[in-house]
Amino acid sequence: MLSCTDLEYKAGSFHLEDFSLELKQGDYCALLGPSGSGKTVILELIAGLRTLKKGSIFIDGKDCTLLPPQRRPVGILFQDYALFPHMSVYKNIAWPLEIRKIKKNEIKETVISFASDLNIERFLDRMPGSLSGGEKQRVALARTLVVHPKVLLLDEPLSALDAPLRDQSALLLKKVSQTGITILHVTHDQAEVSSLANRQVTIGS
Amino acid sequence: MMFLRHNNTTTRLVFLLLSGILLLFIVAPLLGLFFSTSLPDLFETIKDTDVQGSIGLTLGVSALFTLLAGFFALPLAYIMARKEFRGKAFIQGLIDIPIVLPHSAAGIAVLGFISRDSALGRLADIMGLNLVGSPFAIGVAMAFVSVPFLINAARDGFQAVPERLEQAARSLGASPFRVFRQVSLPLAKPSVITGLVLMFARGMSEFGAVVIVAYHPMTTPVLIFDRFNSFGLDYARPVAVLFIIICILVFMALRLLGRKKSNL
Repeated sequence: MLSCTDLEYKAGSFHLEDFSLELKQGDYCALLGPSGSGKTVILELIAGLRTLKKGSIFIDGKDCTLLPPQRRPVGILFQDYALFPHMSVYKNIAWPLEIRKIKKNEIKETVISFASDLNIERFLDRMPGSLSGGEKQRVALARTLVVHPKVLLLDEPLSALDAPLRDQSALLLKKVSQTGITILHVTHDQAEVSSLANRQVTIGS
Repeated sequence: MMFLRHNNTTTRLVFLLLSGILLLFIVAPLLGLFFSTSLPDLFETIKDTDVQGSIGLTLGVSALFTLLAGFFALPLAYIMARKEFRGKAFIQGLIDIPIVLPHSAAGIAVLGFISRDSALGRLADIMGLNLVGSPFAIGVAMAFVSVPFLINAARDGFQAVPERLEQAARSLGASPFRVFRQVSLPLAKPSVITGLVLMFARGMSEFGAVVIVAYHPMTTPVLIFDRFNSFGLDYARPVAVLFIIICILVFMALRLLGRKKSNL
């Protein structure tokens, strides 16, 4: 499903080389490593937000190495959620569907269905600035999943949440993974992914 | 403790005094201007068709060229905010040149660009147009001296938009242009509106560069100078007062509009 071969990337003093990863459909892989080891960079390379110096990225058998981010079947959940502050929660979730020119009534149905699954229905009219961390995360997750990406990239999704919320969020990620989506979860905390991941990859600093 | 409190009060008094003197320095000439203009003179000036024409020309040309310049300035501002490239500092210096040039020199430069000897001037000549002394020349002169204000304000606005949001938008399926249109530009809107207002204001108040490329048709700053030069202070004063009132009203309206729009 996701095949990264000999990825090499250089920016300033940071240098990543010979990184390879092979994930099957439905895999939940934890990418572990200390701060500054380049875990987030790997996610951004897979999402196409950074340009590789060398190597190749195949997703679902398709060579995505040179594809721009908007054409990769990849969803990414950022650590700070990156919700659009000038759009309502509804608009945030509907936006990727509007880009794909889907009919208005279909968009509405899809948004409401995802909002109900993620228990954010009552926030749809609110602006992201008024939400708590956990609520923001669920909105960001809905916005990412609404277009059915083949690979979901998670950048430290639990580290910014309080302990009770973290358990809830982990449960939610487990549910998402049971839909058969391939997940790559970046974290520096092994305990966080012990009950979630069926695979682990560790990179050094 | 007493000393500290005393010291604090003295500092505050000195600061207040200095601030007051500066504010008086700005307000006093304007108040003087207003008080030495009689209402009948002002009403007479409002009815003067030359004055009406020049105010319409000044506001219209400045607004039109501000919008036209925006079309080119916003992409440049975005590049300056987002991209790192060799020669960036040089380009920034280039953008700021019109701010530091004497405006009469800027006028001479613009005149060279549109005169009959230039490529643009020759092209206009073939079509039977003379650019020198035209509203086009006025607009180019206004835009030349005022466009850095728009570029710099918009650049600051784009810089303040977190790059993460643009990355998120790209990964959600948006093209770079859609990201610009629907994420970066709306979030930078307050700064962009400030830039447009500043450029418009600077353009309409321009005298030095405009008078060199077009004495006629007369923009209001040129008309004020012309009346002062030909007939004296009393004759120029009501036009100046009227133009100041209109400037203040226009800017208040634009500010209010900008605030309303950015609150949406």
